[in-house]
Amino acid sequence: MMAELIFRNLWHRPARTLIGVIAIAVEVALVVLIVGLTSGILTETAKRIEGVGADIMLQPPAASMILGLSAAPMPIKIGDKVRELKYVQDVAPTLLQSNSAGGVEVIYGIDQQSFRAVSGGFVFLAGHDFTGPDDVLVDDWAAKAKHLKVGDTYNLFNHDWNVVGIVEHGKGARVFLPLETLQDLSGSHDKASIFWIKCTRPEHTEDVMAEIRTILPGYTLRPIKDMLSIYTSTNIPGLQTFIDAMIALAVSIGLLVIFLTMYTTVIERTRDIGVLKSLGANPPFIIRALLLESALLCLGGIAAGVGLSYGARSVFLHIFPTLTVLITVDWVVRAALIALLATIIGASYPAWLASRKDAVEALTFD
Amino acid sequence: MEIAATIPAPQLKLHGAEGQGLEKRSVEPILKTENLWKLYHAGKVEVPALRGVNFEVQPGESVAVMGPSGCGKSSLLYVIGGLAQASRGKVLVDGNDLTELRDSERTKLRRSKIGFVFQRFNLLPTLTAKGNIAIAQYIHGDGFDPHRFDVVTKMLGLDGRLSHKPSEMSGGEQQRVAIARAIINEPKILLADEPTGNLDTKNSEIVLEMLRRLNKDLGQTIVMITHNPEATVYFDRVVHMRDGVIVDGVPAD
Repeated sequence: MMAELIFRNLWHRPARTLIGVIAIAVEVALVVLIVGLTSGILTETAKRIEGVGADIMLQPPAASMILGLSAAPMPIKIGDKVRELKYVQDVAPTLLQSNSAGGVEVIYGIDQQSFRAVSGGFVFLAGHDFTGPDDVLVDDWAAKAKHLKVGDTYNLFNHDWNVVGIVEHGKGARVFLPLETLQDLSGSHDKASIFWIKCTRPEHTEDVMAEIRTILPGYTLRPIKDMLSIYTSTNIPGLQTFIDAMIALAVSIGLLVIFLTMYTTVIERTRDIGVLKSLGANPPFIIRALLLESALLCLGGIAAGVGLSYGARSVFLHIFPTLTVLITVDWVVRAALIALLATIIGASYPAWLASRKDAVEALTFD
Repeated sequence: MEIAATIPAPQLKLHGAEGQGLEKRSVEPILKTENLWKLYHAGKVEVPALRGVNFEVQPGESVAVMGPSGCGKSSLLYVIGGLAQASRGKVLVDGNDLTELRDSERTKLRRSKIGFVFQRFNLLPTLTAKGNIAIAQYIHGDGFDPHRFDVVTKMLGLDGRLSHKPSEMSGGEQQRVAIARAIINEPKILLADEPTGNLDTKNSEIVLEMLRRLNKDLGQTIVMITHNPEATVYFDRVVHMRDGVIVDGVPAD
């Protein structure tokens, strides 16, 4: 009987019910997408760094883990010093340059030979390696996003590049340029932003890092095997706060809409509440009825929100093919629980208000 | 009258004396008020709605309460029905003094011993007729009793209208649903607040005849408030109120 009462009440005002469902759907989708977008980008970036194949990443002192924000590059000679250390197999200098045209991306200026030695080389889906100073390699995702194919000209940093190869994604960047050309263009002669270091065996990583700390005190060293755990929102300054703030904002919207929805419901049903009281319904019965109604509304919103999340992700990926939005069951469940909690909180005051209504006043309410 | 005349003989046993020719014996009143006061507060001013009402109803009795608007009839009904708290005095319902009970206890007593019928029907608009009656059983806590439900709805001539919502029913039909809802849990007392106030003459007669038959055939104790002097002929006794007090109480002709 309670279920029938709740269903019919929700069905009685379809527009209001729909608004409530949409509000919760937006709340759930915002939480899922904000977390999915940040964790997706971070995880994908970490995987690409892992995909370089190095064991250690050497950066200048106080360098940011956000590669696009890396500090002033280091002298290229540092690579030679590191290469002489015990257990070091190869060192690949890379100059990073951010490109903000059509979205933020980090371009790698690489030394073809050393990068191949560290990474094991690219997997070419089309074309070949650099043969000239104005050649560019793009990965398959970037090629799709930018509609590039081998033989095309690609304008980057106000310079025309010849697309000579399409490579499989997953080796650091999406666009690769010859190191020396990028050094010339950026005025960073004989400089590198990162040295990728390959040890003779992965077990020697700690030993090599210890030696580098001795010869290059203060420089930033990151073991590549820890990249996935390093690249989390809690390790990026301010990112977790931003995510928390966005989630709080989304939850607030859902909570306020549910509050308003249930508040107007209670006002509209004042006489009905009086009738229920005249039939002997006690305050817990009335609170239960309203909270269950809100919860059912919320369940509809959660289902719509999950659908909206996947729909929005499809749209994002269609517009920005290089983006990664990681929707996980874990965060879908969390978003659902957050929405349910916000709904219960939002509906609690109207439900309490309804349960406290004077029966006689309610019965005579117009 | 015609509809009421077609109502089959009820198969129910209600509280109080049973069957036609109810014999009024000297027993404990099912409802009794002693020096009952009800004060409302308008700002800092106390407005008395009831001023020491002494009133008794025997089991199986039907009583009509008449009086001008504002004389305290509805206040009396709400207080003896446990919907409003008395300010002073006593209200005994089946031996329980409502003034001694907490709100939760009055709610429990109302659930088990009182049935209400209102002037404006007060059906839940989202539920069907069936749902409106069944929810009273649900709140009562004994669950849905299909046998009793069938008997009551047939008795009130509702069996063809159960799937309709209040907005799809006439005033008379809505009031019959309200009566069914009020008696579905076999209350000790049925309280009716101007149940014919929103009905035309024909439907008023049907509703009044049903109340009369509930009383005469099933022994249902009824207290009804009315403005309509013609309605009082359906009741054992008529009580007149004025300015918050009962001014007389004589058997109806």
